[in-house]
Amino acid sequence: MNRRRRLTAVIAGTGAFAALAVLLFPLYAVIIASLETNSQLIGTSYNWYPPTPNLDNYRQVITTQGSHLVSSLIIAIGTTLLTLAVSLPAAHALARYRFRVTAAIVGSLLVAQILPSIVIANSLFVLYHKLHLLNSYAGLILADATYAVPFSILVLRAFMLSLPSDVLQAARVDGATEWNTFLRVVLPMSRSAIITVALFAFLNGWGDFIFALTLLSGGTFQPVTLSIYNYIGEFTQNLGAAMALAVFAVLPAAMMLIAAQRYIAAGLTVGSVKG
Amino acid sequence: MTGTIRGGQAAATQAPRPAPRAAQSAHRRALMMRYARLAFLVPAGAYVLFAFAVPVVYNLILSFEQTSPATIADLFAPFAGLANYTATVGQSATQSVLLHTLFFTVGSLVFQFLIGFSLALLFQVKFPLGVLGRSLVIVPWLLPFLITGTIFRFLFQLEAGAVNQLLSALGLISQPIGFLLTPHWAFTVVLITNIWLGIPFFTVLLYSALQDVPPEIKEAALIDGASFWPRLTRVTLPIIRPVIEVTFVLGFVFTVKVFDIVIGLTNGGPANSTQLIATWAYNLSFQQFDYGAGAAVNTVLLLIALLAAPIYIRLNRSSLRAGVT
Repeated sequence: MNRRRRLTAVIAGTGAFAALAVLLFPLYAVIIASLETNSQLIGTSYNWYPPTPNLDNYRQVITTQGSHLVSSLIIAIGTTLLTLAVSLPAAHALARYRFRVTAAIVGSLLVAQILPSIVIANSLFVLYHKLHLLNSYAGLILADATYAVPFSILVLRAFMLSLPSDVLQAARVDGATEWNTFLRVVLPMSRSAIITVALFAFLNGWGDFIFALTLLSGGTFQPVTLSIYNYIGEFTQNLGAAMALAVFAVLPAAMMLIAAQRYIAAGLTVGSVKG
Repeated sequence: MTGTIRGGQAAATQAPRPAPRAAQSAHRRALMMRYARLAFLVPAGAYVLFAFAVPVVYNLILSFEQTSPATIADLFAPFAGLANYTATVGQSATQSVLLHTLFFTVGSLVFQFLIGFSLALLFQVKFPLGVLGRSLVIVPWLLPFLITGTIFRFLFQLEAGAVNQLLSALGLISQPIGFLLTPHWAFTVVLITNIWLGIPFFTVLLYSALQDVPPEIKEAALIDGASFWPRLTRVTLPIIRPVIEVTFVLGFVFTVKVFDIVIGLTNGGPANSTQLIATWAYNLSFQQFDYGAGAAVNTVLLLIALLAAPIYIRLNRSSLRAGVT
């Protein structure tokens, strides 16, 4: 029995790590490609490791792409703030108060989660043309928050439903206003869920491509995703630089996920049960 | 937006002001309280209206209009009846896009489930570095989708591509395959990329479902002498079925609207062989500047995506109930 169990462990471990190698290889490939020259990248054979590692691509990215990285950061932070400003009060109200329309609101948020971004982008392009929101941070951030707002309200609400109601009752007895209860009691207690949705909103703002492609016609500013897209338009000339830029594009996601891992687990275990 | 929230606060603090008659004051207080509570919903309500409801309705309007690059300056263009629909859905290019999307969706979900579930099962077994391995599964999620597409384009290159190199090193091919140059191969590569992208999602959700299966039940089945396969199909799968359903519904929703990875990999080519509904709508609206036609294709995409809505809402029915107090 013991020997059989050990054999199972060996087989499972081998299988799992073989699968992991396939899952992780593309990330390894980006990193080594970012250290190669263009002629090495498009030559006649693939290099499994960089033949002559150098940082030229990174130098090129830092000198030419700095402003695009800043743009991406502005968009991601703006998306996060807008998402939180819209979602937190709504989640609180939907969790705490009994409205006749609660079921209808939650149902429409579930439907909103399903709507394809390209449908929204197509309409917003024409509407923004009228509203003079094309090529603006405000317009792009309003669009980018569509990824996160329904999800955030639902996850935050599920989390807030799980808060002990006697604490909130006590605040009410103490004469705290609805707004103060929300601000002083509910928000601090919901920290882990807030971090989860903030992270989700940030990564969606950072990684958005559809809205940047459709709502920015170039000129004023450009996030990193759009800049990579323009790079690969001339695939063979800029491959190395595109890969170095890709490494930059992945960095914030990786850092934030590692830093907030604890909170994500806590926030998602509540949210995932209810979708 | 903060204005409305502050308004709510003001209403809440004003509420307890004494009124001439007690009954009237209580009534007024209750009313103020109700407005204060509703005020919390105002920012989200306004946002959902602006960013979801209006675009969906406007897309529907656009799809019935005779649009041209010139009409972009006006909010509304002349009515065109079903012309956009007959011109797109009736066209063989759009029909083959619909067919691609069908194969793409079914293929993605089947393989994502099979691979994701197998991985979830493997991680149930304890082995060295298992915990580390499990947390590394989500790495594909770190990459913005467009970048994933770009990387796979690089890996599936003709001569300097890793895949061709590997296949020829294994002696499986003598000539490099033009993965991104021939239509059926290009489609397969887009499919493989999307499967790769979805595996972490399936693995993570199914793994946590497997973890939640009560150990008593697993042990009972073991003691009864049930071997692996019956244990899986008769005990484990029925128990985790709700999670499997959620995973498939969400997977479906993600897959029908795939856009970024196609643009990064092939831009829809060669010869439109990798166009999916979303990229095709983009192509019509933003590359052929036919917004009406793009909107018509978008409506089709919307209807397909909304097929998931009733199931999705049913799976979430527990969250539809009202709040606590």
